[in-house]
Amino acid sequence: MDRRRFADLSLKAGVAAAVASAIPGVLTLRGKARESATRAVAVGDRLVFALGQNSGQPVTRGSFSQNEAVLAYPENKSDNHENLVLVCKLNPTALVEPTDLTGTAEGVVAYSAICTHLGCTVRFTEEPMDAAPFPHIHCPCHAALFDPQKGGMVMGGPAPRPLPQLPVRLNENGEVVVSGPFSSPVGVQA
Amino acid sequence: MSIATWLDERLGLERFRAKYLGKPFPVHSTFFLGEIALFCFVILVGTGMYLALVYEPSAASITGGAGPMPAAYASVVAIDSHPFGALVRRMHHWAAQLMIASIVLHMLRIYFTASYRKPREVNWILGLVLLGATIGASFAGYLLPYDQFSVTATAIGYGIARSIPWIGSLVADYGFAGQFPSPSSVPRFFAYHVVWAPLALSALIALHLVIVLKQKHTEPADAKATRAAADAHLIEGVPLWPQQAALMAVLMLVVIAVTALLSAFLPVHPVEFYGPPQPMTPEVKPDWYLLWVYGALRLIPGGLSFRFLGATIGSEAIGAMLVPGILSLAIVLAPWLDRSTSSLYYAESPMASPSRLGFGLAAITLFLALSVAGFGEELGLSVPVLWVITIVAPLLAFGGAYLLAKRRGEKAGAP
Repeated sequence: MDRRRFADLSLKAGVAAAVASAIPGVLTLRGKARESATRAVAVGDRLVFALGQNSGQPVTRGSFSQNEAVLAYPENKSDNHENLVLVCKLNPTALVEPTDLTGTAEGVVAYSAICTHLGCTVRFTEEPMDAAPFPHIHCPCHAALFDPQKGGMVMGGPAPRPLPQLPVRLNENGEVVVSGPFSSPVGVQA
Repeated sequence: MSIATWLDERLGLERFRAKYLGKPFPVHSTFFLGEIALFCFVILVGTGMYLALVYEPSAASITGGAGPMPAAYASVVAIDSHPFGALVRRMHHWAAQLMIASIVLHMLRIYFTASYRKPREVNWILGLVLLGATIGASFAGYLLPYDQFSVTATAIGYGIARSIPWIGSLVADYGFAGQFPSPSSVPRFFAYHVVWAPLALSALIALHLVIVLKQKHTEPADAKATRAAADAHLIEGVPLWPQQAALMAVLMLVVIAVTALLSAFLPVHPVEFYGPPQPMTPEVKPDWYLLWVYGALRLIPGGLSFRFLGATIGSEAIGAMLVPGILSLAIVLAPWLDRSTSSLYYAESPMASPSRLGFGLAAITLFLALSVAGFGEELGLSVPVLWVITIVAPLLAFGGAYLLAKRRGEKAGAP
């Protein structure tokens, strides 16, 4: 090997090594979630209030009356924003397919509170709106509408997918407990 | 030997003055819009330098007066708590609003006088990149106060990134340092807003100005009529030094004064009103320059989502990527969509080309109609009505402007 060729090869090897060593640095940009932010909801988790003075306390049968809803997290898993759910109490006889009826109890039905449009937190609305008969779930960001009586189906507005349902049951203390996984992926999906 | 001669012998100041400081600047009341944007940028850097010293880029929870709150939020509340800090923060906000507004007006001036035409296509595109970068810098700044509003607004940006077909979750993760919101979000956006954005904007602004100096400014349309054909290559205007420099200094002081005046009397984003971030989403609307995207997002129904090559093109991707992408591309391509190919040294009259005037006014009307769609609920207008307005209003604007310019042209051309 002559000197020119050796210098040429060394240069290429050097550039390749520099580029290769930068790869882990670039991958770091992806961010690494803290352990507490990766905890997924699991069967048996109790749902606790996400907001207000009862924050952290279990949501029970007595926490709300009919046609009310509360924002809740699975207990100790509030660092994972995607675990946020809207627990609604509806007229049990009004709940129909495609709701997973085995995942409801006494009219209590839970949906992901993360709008499938662009990820804002949805609301259960007390008053009827022109576009939607009572009761309904709506998103304050871009006016997506979901039907809590029909499995979170889209009633109108820009949402591309229904709200994922989180199956729940009531335990012996009347607390709302998770009984299965979300019915579809949570949040914005491409 | 005077100091001036001493310096001139070493630095060649006289040659520099002769070569650059005599550059002629044609004078017209619409030729100052870009400069206003530049001075706003100077104010933003100046106020930002102070804010960066006292702002704490961390979402870590600390105990504030009203219970636990993120350190970033508490530091912005502290800035607002004394008059100097509050004024600087308000000036930072107002300068950002004025910068985007003056860039938009500058762009409209360039468009309606056809000054984007050959040989100025490069600076047209650079100017649009500057507009995009300025909006990007503002968006990165949204998150920093870390209140309920800013987290919601940035979460929508995160959702938009996630909705990009095929690569959405990768783009979102790399752009937002993992799932949003997380403890990594604030430091990442601080770096974007305080290091990357100002450096990128400075470089782009420098390039934009060097190209203007190299290519020289267009002259007002009426200069052409009074100039002998043999002198067409001449440029009439005030020299950069001292007349233009004096005009610029006065304008800069006026921009600073206006920003200070607005800041003294009109509050900006009320951090304490929104409070620290909570799982709930408040009613939010974006700043005026993004209202059209917001309106598009509300108008595109979920049912328009479709599958394409294994990915879902969702209504959110259509509203936030596809529609803005197509509109932006059309603006970028204006120099090539304009079929008049002759080089341009004089700014043209807006009335000179009926179709250019028509497309320009139709685009303005479309952006306004989409922004109005963001207020459908407040205005009591249903989504179908808003769709009709969004489609019909730009067509009417095009037709009206086209006919007006055409008739004006015919009248002028008649004997």
